Amino acid sequence: MSLPNRDTIIAIVLLFFTGVLIWASFDIRSPDYGILAPSAWPRSVLAILTVFGLIYLFQSLRTPQSQRPAEDTDAGGGLIGWFVRYRNPLWCYLIYFLFLATLPFFGTLIGGILLVFLLLSVLGGFAPKKLLLHGVIASVSMGAMWAIFTFGLRVILPRGSLFEVI
Amino acid sequence: MLFENLLGAINEIGNFQTLAFMVIGATAGLISGAIPGFTIAMAVVLTLPFTFGMPPAQGIATMIGVFVGGLSGGLMSGILTGIPGTPSSVATTFDGFPMARTGNPGLALGLGVWASFFGGVISAVLLIAVAPQLARVGLEFQPWDYFSLVFFALTITASLAGQNLVKGLIAGALGLLIATFGEDDINGVSRFDFGIEYLQEGFGFLPVLIGLFAFSRLMTDVRDPKTATMALTDMQEVSIRIEHRRAALTVLKSWGNLLRSSLIGVFTGILPAAGSSISNVLAYDQAKKASKTPEKFGSGFADGIIAPESANNATAGGSLITMMALGIPGDIITAVMLGALLIHDVIPSPSFITEAPVLAYSIFLAFFIANFLVLGLQSGALKLFVLVTRVRMYVLAAIILAYCGIGVFALHNIVSDIWTLFIFGIVGYVLRNLGFPLAPVILGVVLGPIAEKWLSRSLAISTDVSMFFTQPWSLFFVIASVFSLLFTLYQRDRGKKPWTRFYPPALMLSLSLPIIMMGGVVRPVVGAGLIVAALYLLYRTQQDGKAAEN
Repeated sequence: MSLPNRDTIIAIVLLFFTGVLIWASFDIRSPDYGILAPSAWPRSVLAILTVFGLIYLFQSLRTPQSQRPAEDTDAGGGLIGWFVRYRNPLWCYLIYFLFLATLPFFGTLIGGILLVFLLLSVLGGFAPKKLLLHGVIASVSMGAMWAIFTFGLRVILPRGSLFEVI
Repeated sequence: MLFENLLGAINEIGNFQTLAFMVIGATAGLISGAIPGFTIAMAVVLTLPFTFGMPPAQGIATMIGVFVGGLSGGLMSGILTGIPGTPSSVATTFDGFPMARTGNPGLALGLGVWASFFGGVISAVLLIAVAPQLARVGLEFQPWDYFSLVFFALTITASLAGQNLVKGLIAGALGLLIATFGEDDINGVSRFDFGIEYLQEGFGFLPVLIGLFAFSRLMTDVRDPKTATMALTDMQEVSIRIEHRRAALTVLKSWGNLLRSSLIGVFTGILPAAGSSISNVLAYDQAKKASKTPEKFGSGFADGIIAPESANNATAGGSLITMMALGIPGDIITAVMLGALLIHDVIPSPSFITEAPVLAYSIFLAFFIANFLVLGLQSGALKLFVLVTRVRMYVLAAIILAYCGIGVFALHNIVSDIWTLFIFGIVGYVLRNLGFPLAPVILGVVLGPIAEKWLSRSLAISTDVSMFFTQPWSLFFVIASVFSLLFTLYQRDRGKKPWTRFYPPALMLSLSLPIIMMGGVVRPVVGAGLIVAALYLLYRTQQDGKAAEN
């Protein structure tokens, strides 16, 4: 017995997600006013999505193994191979997550400089000369952006509690 | 009326500040259009945060500057490196690159620049002439017609799906679903919040857009560690002088090609979902077919540069006609512009030109001016482009990622918008990697709330659902929607399966019914004409079938 292909798994996940939202749509409050209930439109969309999801599932099941497009397996090595293959985006997402999580503390300016510096170093390398260059690029680019938004566009960017401590 | 509105528009955008923003926008568009891998849509999306604080006309004018600049910028890298900066300049490389390699880069660039300029100006004139006339039709629309029109626009997602129709439709439906999260605009009831405060407000359009489109794109660009650390192109020092005079004269001498290609561009732009990436190849193909020397195409022939470049810039005017007159986006860029109008509390609809004539004419005028600005800026942008190409991709990606965060924060001054950006950055990347097109998701997000609003209004007037099929315009769009959904299949099977031969006559016959129902004198005549044409096509199909049997 062969394992289900990627499209079949996506279709099943999609249908599961649709099911959860259909269930959640019953929690939408219905006010006494208005003709179109607030749940009507989302349910219609979910019904359409379910139909498309089912078509997608049947399509993936009907496609013979030989006709399925070759899935990207150049990294190989299972989960580790997958991590190696996608290491750059994964690092970026992790750094961005850390930037967001620490934003209330560092604020936009310091947090932004750290974000750009870390992204540059992770993607471009950690050689001492490069680190210096990355530091300069991060400081100049974020400083300029911060100044444009703060003074040019008058946006009050998050200051961060670090400044209050200082 | 026309002059009154134009004067109002001049007053609105004919000031130093707006023109300065347009110059910056056009320069940014030229550079981003020239960088392979950076799409025009991405440049327009990233411009949005800067326009929040501006008046609507100024904001849209800046974005139009980026749009027109981006369309023209693609030719620089296409001609000098052979790698088109954007998909809309693919056909330009066929003759532009060979001409540059044979020692005429200045002339090749000049031809591209002037063809782009003339194409843009022709489409601007058509935009000003056609859009208000088309919008008059929109004034006849009832809520049922509006809903069906938006429904038709949503079916465009099928055409945007590319190879996989089902994946495109799923992506479109996902976009509609994303727009339903949070407080509903009609009743003020929270939907799908799961008791989480963050979800009660729903997802902001801009963070979703930038996350799906820009964030995920940057992740794709840096995915491969090797390409991430490489310079954007391997172009070295260039000292090229654009041959403006010679190029302009050559373009004008080839006026037939210029006009045909520009009209192809405008028409392609008017058609929903058929953007400049199609028009440039189509115009190139037609120019080659119409040429007395088709064998010269591909070897550095002037007509091979004039055709695609005039067509891709003219497409912008065409897509703006659809957006302005009917309130539906023709492509991803106009979808972003519609979103920008929504941010400025301007609701795009067929009555837009009538209700906000000064803003509408400001957009027309901005498009017209942008073509002149881009023409003037091209030489300077070439030097900037050479500088930018030395930057490594990962440096650009890191800075833009930080900018995305600050940009989305600027809209509502809430950090949760940056979280939305982050979440949809992941969603977009996953969808991209699983082969789902992102353009239908964006269309769904933009059009979902509009569709729901018109459905609600229709049902508030009458709960009789048959109105959607008995109102002539509504029926027209319902029929168009059905055929639009089938269009991808038609394209795929055309010439291979017998049913495709009946697609055009069936479309004509079906559309003739609502057109006749509209009444008056002209429309029934048009409807009758469609019936005659359809019957003729059926007769021809039958004759061809008999001939094939024999």
